[in-house]
Amino acid sequence: MANHTTTEASFENQPTWSGGRSPFNVSYGKLMMWIFLLSDAFTFSSLLVQYGTQRFSNVVTPITTKWPDPASIFNHFPGMHGFHLPLLFVSVMTFILILSSVTMVLAVEAGHRNSKKEVSKFMIYTIFGGLAFLGCQAWEWYTFIGEGARLDGNTFGITKQGYDHLHSVGFGSHFEWLDGDRTFGPVPFAALFFIVTGFHGFHVFSGVVINVVVYIMTVRGVFERRGHYEMIEKAGLYWHFVDLVWVFVFTFFYLI
Amino acid sequence: MEFYNKPGEYDAINYIPHTESHGTKELWKTFWLLLGITLFDFMIYFVMPASGFRNFIFIFFGLVKAYFIVGAFMHLKHEKMTLALIILVPTIFICGLIIGLLYEGSALEVMKSM
Repeated sequence: MANHTTTEASFENQPTWSGGRSPFNVSYGKLMMWIFLLSDAFTFSSLLVQYGTQRFSNVVTPITTKWPDPASIFNHFPGMHGFHLPLLFVSVMTFILILSSVTMVLAVEAGHRNSKKEVSKFMIYTIFGGLAFLGCQAWEWYTFIGEGARLDGNTFGITKQGYDHLHSVGFGSHFEWLDGDRTFGPVPFAALFFIVTGFHGFHVFSGVVINVVVYIMTVRGVFERRGHYEMIEKAGLYWHFVDLVWVFVFTFFYLI
Repeated sequence: MEFYNKPGEYDAINYIPHTESHGTKELWKTFWLLLGITLFDFMIYFVMPASGFRNFIFIFFGLVKAYFIVGAFMHLKHEKMTLALIILVPTIFICGLIIGLLYEGSALEVMKSM
């Protein structure tokens, strides 16, 4: 035991940057997860750069062929057909993702206490949150495509008449487009929406798969035998990153 | 400091620092904060007419949310400063790139109308 302690101390006392230990005081796997997330952040940034440039070169104005106002398109809610409810559904989606993020971090916390029962419970909650979010996104895409959204065109431009019509109805009132309300808009609008939310949705899907794998490993006692639940932390980092990306998708695609 | 490795097996690859639970209080606080900001965004969206200032509010609160997700949920606040820096510095440069290219987009708009 004395030998054990000496080895521990000599390992810990090595100078930070002279090798033989992690200079960041995290495990190799966790450091690599951070590096992967940084690279993934660059991927999303490149999409965001393209979106921002396209959008700023087609500035939102009420008069024809400019970038469509998100409130005029994403104003549906399941079971409330024909009502003008902008931002409501996407706020529910945001709420679901924040909630699943908090259950994930509770699973990580339970892992620090080596509580197998609590880790499995919170992992199940997180997986259901992820699936609920994916379901919402599927419905959003279904509605958007049903309205005529395509990768290679945009029929969501609003004329002056359409703009005045839209802004004369209040939140929650009945609303339908009239002839002459809509026209063609900038082509990349729907394509960028599909690419960015699709890319994010694919990340959510991968996150759910990772969480299911980690859940099965937890239930089978793999981490219990290993003596630590660090894998939950790594899956958690990925899951929170997905939540983080959604914060910006929500801001740039729906709020602004 | 506790180690999970077996005695004599301390090396950079298998090294796993022992992590203590900080309790759930900070996590729930962060959750209510994120929820509050989202509801605030929702309210502002309907109360304020669209303007550059409103967009600034949305982006500002987006960054505040990002700070709390990365800091508290992803635990970066409690990691070593060097790790936080290698993650954050490139990201800040990317934000600069985005802002720069928004100006380029505006210039494109002007050129198209010429």
